[in-house]
Amino acid sequence: MNDLSLAMTFSLVLLALFLSQKNKIGLEKELVVGSIRAVVQLTLIGFVLTYVFNLNNYALTTLLLVLMVYNAATVAAKRGQGIDHILRIAFTALLASLVITLGTLLFFGAIHYQPSEVIPISGMVVGNSMVAAGLVFNSLRDKFQHRRDEVEIKLCLGANAKESSVAIIRETIRTAMLPNVDSMKTLGIVQLPGMMTGLILAGLSPMIAIKYQIMVTFMITGAVAITTFSASYWAYKSFFNELEQLQ
Amino acid sequence: MPLLELVNIRLALQEKTILDELSFQVDSGDIIGLLGTSGSGKTSLFRMINLLQSPTQGTVLYRGKDTLTYQPTTLRREIGYVFQKTYLFGDTIKENLIYPYQLLKQEPDFQEITDYLAKANLPQDIITKKINELSGGEQQRIALIRSLLVKPHILLLDEVTASLDEENTLIIEKLILDQHQTRNVTILFISHNTQQAERLAQKILYLAKGRISFYGNKGEFFERGLNNE
Ligand SMILES: Nc1ncnc2c1ncn2[C@@H]1O[C@H](COP(=O)(O)OP(=O)(O)OP(=O)(O)O)[C@@H](O)[C@H]1O
Ligand SMILES: [Mg+2]
Repeated sequence: MNDLSLAMTFSLVLLALFLSQKNKIGLEKELVVGSIRAVVQLTLIGFVLTYVFNLNNYALTTLLLVLMVYNAATVAAKRGQGIDHILRIAFTALLASLVITLGTLLFFGAIHYQPSEVIPISGMVVGNSMVAAGLVFNSLRDKFQHRRDEVEIKLCLGANAKESSVAIIRETIRTAMLPNVDSMKTLGIVQLPGMMTGLILAGLSPMIAIKYQIMVTFMITGAVAITTFSASYWAYKSFFNELEQLQ
Repeated sequence: MPLLELVNIRLALQEKTILDELSFQVDSGDIIGLLGTSGSGKTSLFRMINLLQSPTQGTVLYRGKDTLTYQPTTLRREIGYVFQKTYLFGDTIKENLIYPYQLLKQEPDFQEITDYLAKANLPQDIITKKINELSGGEQQRIALIRSLLVKPHILLLDEVTASLDEENTLIIEKLILDQHQTRNVTILFISHNTQQAERLAQKILYLAKGRISFYGNKGEFFERGLNNE
């Protein structure tokens, strides 16, 4: 693919623009801004990655990972606005998820701690964990609002904060993990994941691409599980005060 | 020492004063009927005694000790509270009835459950039913039994016979009195039914706009005819 043919693919965005205008969807401005941002952001990150990959510096790589986690945490925390300490909870849960999954891959030698491997892998881990954490916060907030009576009745029967919330926590974890389980089940049948498609397009043999994809799939499953469990069990506490009263 | 004592209580929710200048004592073994118009603060008073809400001002003493200093779970096990709005959780009736045992980390005592179901005039097979397969009155009775299984020393009952017919109302009243006689449970019940208050209560506490307008013996209350206000 040369640069000209890449540029020509922009005609597909023009098609979207045309459809939006014709049907009065009102998304033209957002489409233009979005596609420009995509090009600018990706080009910039391309330069940054090239630089970082060449530098191959341990500390700088780690710093980038922490920044990545922090950014994702602010996005996930927005889903739980109003929950006490939400940013701290989101950050810790995402960090735990990244450290454990990345640590496991490194320990078994599946990847090496160098920027060209660690950064893209972490991007996938953190991105998926971010979505899961957002689902957790959203579901907790919703359930603690709509099921106050259930929680308070359990408190009155002598349950502590955790015992009174366990049903809500379980459902929340289920809700947040289901999309991942579903997409795992349909891998290869319904969707060829972006990473694998990219590797194959870049000329790698499908078998190698698939090996990486399996690793990535398992890694994301682990990451999502760690995030949903830790985020749920840390965040439910924010709905109670020290007298085990619902706030 | 009174079992329960409220000292100069004020409760404000969202800046609005719900209860004010509330002081009274409850002795062990009392049966107190809590009356008052809708919105007078009866439910709010129960919620505060049960520590679902802290008082804005003043102290609630249980066995001479500020309720705020208790471990909340311990206190709430001693003071059972059956809500005005019946709420059964989970899927089945069984789930609701074995919940108290699970909290106490005990094996469910199905004999005890069977006895209570019989006393509440409920069929034994009700335990296998789903929560939404029950009538309002049946749900209310299950909620009451669920609280009794915790074996509280005080029972706060918020209109627990509101959706029952006369026959079942009397059956539940008998069950409540039975708790009082066999286990010396102290009972505070909210009711809009003055006849029920006359049947059950020893004392009457009458709330008006969040303040006590009468607290004393039942006989005195009904002589004064305050209930006709
Ligand atoms: N969470 C809350 N926030 C603000 N106000 C509240 C809250 N809960 C109750 N109130 C108000 O407190 C007042 C007393 O309510 P409460 O439920 O205690 O009355 P009640 O005597 O139990 O009435 P009813 O007989 O209708 O059940 C009402 O005016 C109600 O609007
Ligand atoms: Mg009420």
